[in-house]
Amino acid sequence: MTTLMTQQDDRMEQERITFVVVHPLDDVPEEKVETEYLGPMPMTMTVKICLYALRGYLLLMFGLLGFRVLQLAGVIKS
Amino acid sequence: MVTINHADPKEVLNGTAAKPIRVSNKWVAQALTFLMVFGPGLIVMEADNDAGAVSTYVQAGAQYGTHLLWLLLVLLPISYFVQEMVVRLGIATGQGHAAMIYRRFGKWWGRFSLADLLLLNFLTLVTEFAAIALALDKLGVNPVLGVPVAAVALTALVLTGSYRRWERIVVFLCLLDLAWFAIAFRVHPVAGDVFRHSMVPSLPPSGLTAGWLFLVIATVGTTIAPWQLFFQQSCVADKRLRFSDLKWARLDTLIGAVFTILVAGCMMLAGNAAFLRHWIFTDPAQMAVQLGSALGPFLKNAILLLMINAAVLGTTTISLSSAWAYGEVRGWPHSLQKPIREAPAFYAVYALCVIAAAGIVLIPRAPLQLIILSVQVLAGLMLPSAIIFLQLLLNDKEVLGERFANKRWNNFVNWVIVILLFVLSLLLAAQVAVPKLFPNA
Repeated sequence: MTTLMTQQDDRMEQERITFVVVHPLDDVPEEKVETEYLGPMPMTMTVKICLYALRGYLLLMFGLLGFRVLQLAGVIKS
Repeated sequence: MVTINHADPKEVLNGTAAKPIRVSNKWVAQALTFLMVFGPGLIVMEADNDAGAVSTYVQAGAQYGTHLLWLLLVLLPISYFVQEMVVRLGIATGQGHAAMIYRRFGKWWGRFSLADLLLLNFLTLVTEFAAIALALDKLGVNPVLGVPVAAVALTALVLTGSYRRWERIVVFLCLLDLAWFAIAFRVHPVAGDVFRHSMVPSLPPSGLTAGWLFLVIATVGTTIAPWQLFFQQSCVADKRLRFSDLKWARLDTLIGAVFTILVAGCMMLAGNAAFLRHWIFTDPAQMAVQLGSALGPFLKNAILLLMINAAVLGTTTISLSSAWAYGEVRGWPHSLQKPIREAPAFYAVYALCVIAAAGIVLIPRAPLQLIILSVQVLAGLMLPSAIIFLQLLLNDKEVLGERFANKRWNNFVNWVIVILLFVLSLLLAAQVAVPKLFPNA
């Protein structure tokens, strides 16, 4: 009985100090957050401000771009 | 990290996980895990030193000597912080960036981001092939033969149906950039100047001019590019990095950022050699020829071959970011692990991007200057918006939970970066609209 327990302890000790390293592509796929059914992000004040600022920025940039194109085309005199 | 204690590796033991490596030393296990995770961070950072970047950094060195080295040091933490956010998002969701924008901000913003990305990527690809053609020409290879061969090789690179094979080849190509250190050593920069101008921000003797400002903006735009956000998140998702891999993926990204900035610094030092000799050139290939005639053919051949390598790295990663993004939004299978028959549309988008860009370069008198200008303008439009979406997604606790969402200090740092990028983009826009805003050199 003592011998059996010692063998078991040895085996457990051996098992405890063995590390198994697996490449991510060979590992069991992890369960990630399911984003498909979450829907759009809640429109908090921060999100609203950011998206409005972004719209404004894009309008300004496209406006400047259009201005420059018209300038290069000679429609607007520099 | 999957350094699993043998007491509880059920999935590994029952055979659901393949090819496990058993080691008894914790440090060895951690090193192996890191090596398995290593890749996307180095690739995304080093591929950003693409043909356009070589041109920008060399030009910066040739015009201002070592005076812009400090900027690279400033950009090191910025590029790391931005890409680290993408890593967290990719690991937490297992989804690409385009898919996340589409799902969380709706179809309009999703389509806008995708269209902008695809257009900008495609125009950038044209510049990559233009650089390949230029370098091949200077090496005595006819571009009409060389460019199609490069396009076919670049397409074949992803068609193996193995993410790992693609990653190993691309990591090897990234490491070839170590040759830039040999080039920097051979041009004998003044160590004191390099150190001083790296550590202390300074203006060149000509002061604040439009040319200087444009190069500063171009350097920032080159170091942090929109495609990188899309690429690394999709790459992390395709590699199926696990929650426990986060710290190794961060280390991978940090190593990539440091390596890339050092290589960029070496490119500036190569340009500095031209600055010291008062050479005037229009592209790095021309500078390589001049350096070759003054300091030996090694420099000429090395710079030309590294230009091709930079363009190859840029092409495969940028095309993949387009193919992944398009596949994610359309819901098509999109993985380098899948053979062609299982993801035909994904590979078709990649091949189409590569072949069409190569084809445009071969058209005689193609408007390459206009394409380069368009890349700069579109990048200016795209980058702030991409960073805003990234910042909002990283605060999306519904998706990320407390563990992966931005902390307060993350948000502070990232808002500073966002504001800085907005200001630089607006300065560029102002410079375009009012060319006499800043004095010319």
